[in-house]
Amino acid sequence: MDNVATDDNWKDCFSQMAPGLVLFARQWTRSPADAEDIVQEAFVRFWRKQQQISSPEIIGAREPVRSRGLLYAMVRSIALDFLRRDSRRARRESVVVAESDSAVQPEFAIENESQQELVAAMALLPNEQREVLVMKIWNDLTFAEIASVLGISQNTAASRYRYALAALKKNFVTQ
Amino acid sequence: MNDFSELEKQLKQLQPVTPSENLVARIEQALSESEDCRASVSDATPSRRWRWRFTETPYKVSLGWGLLATAALVLVFARINLQQPAQRKPNLAAISPVPSVSSTTSGATLVPVGLTQVTYSTRDEGLHFPTSSTQPMRRIRSQKRETMQWHNPVTGASLRISYPSEEVSLTPVSGE
Repeated sequence: MDNVATDDNWKDCFSQMAPGLVLFARQWTRSPADAEDIVQEAFVRFWRKQQQISSPEIIGAREPVRSRGLLYAMVRSIALDFLRRDSRRARRESVVVAESDSAVQPEFAIENESQQELVAAMALLPNEQREVLVMKIWNDLTFAEIASVLGISQNTAASRYRYALAALKKNFVTQ
Repeated sequence: MNDFSELEKQLKQLQPVTPSENLVARIEQALSESEDCRASVSDATPSRRWRWRFTETPYKVSLGWGLLATAALVLVFARINLQQPAQRKPNLAAISPVPSVSSTTSGATLVPVGLTQVTYSTRDEGLHFPTSSTQPMRRIRSQKRETMQWHNPVTGASLRISYPSEEVSLTPVSGE
């Protein structure tokens, strides 16, 4: 799973990563369908790029590309572009969006009330902490990978993770 | 960190919603289509991709502001040029004794006195992956306001043009 692009059987690899990737993309979208579209576009672009890079005439002495961080960076980049387009569209179609907001579908398969409260507490986190949490907990990315995705230092990534957990603990306990 | 181990365990127990079953099929189809496309694009005109990119909204916006700024500049210079021919006549007839009005007419031009460029917003939009490059790029979007000023030292008239502009810069980022 460390290097999905060099795995011959990308479908198995992708199937394992898909829930985490879609969850990561959901942070910037209103619906799971939009998140899946983003993941699809990112994965297709990522795959094409990896094929290009690892083709015999280009690869030469280059090291294998650190693919996981690149894939998440692509998802984030496409999601942010989508968000920009979507917010413009939302302004134009504010009535329709207001109606659809009431029917937002959950991001997690919730089994009990405690999990429900935990998800509600997560919704209160600032975006920058939440994205680190999602990458770390549900996507198993290292702080080095998270740092490369976000363009920040590893220490900052680790701090955001700790702040997220501290805030979550506080919000979760008080609820 | 140990303080959070219980919380981390609880978080890991939360299962993200499974994506729809056809996601893998859609990706597979998109990948096969892209393979076909690549084969057909190799003999197509290279400008096709650029043509498509320039229809994207950010490019349209930038192009719009660029055109607006160009139009403003053209208007300014047109105005200056329109004023000059009528007032240059006495200068062209300089063989004859210089008329007393020449001092006023020679100063009837606008002199550029200032150009300011204020960047009021810079946003790092993270990594970007242009299809034409194998290397990721960091995209930085800056919003600026440019102001140009002309002044007529004789009449005291001044002209100021101010317009917003947006600049997107892509900086290559190394893989490691």
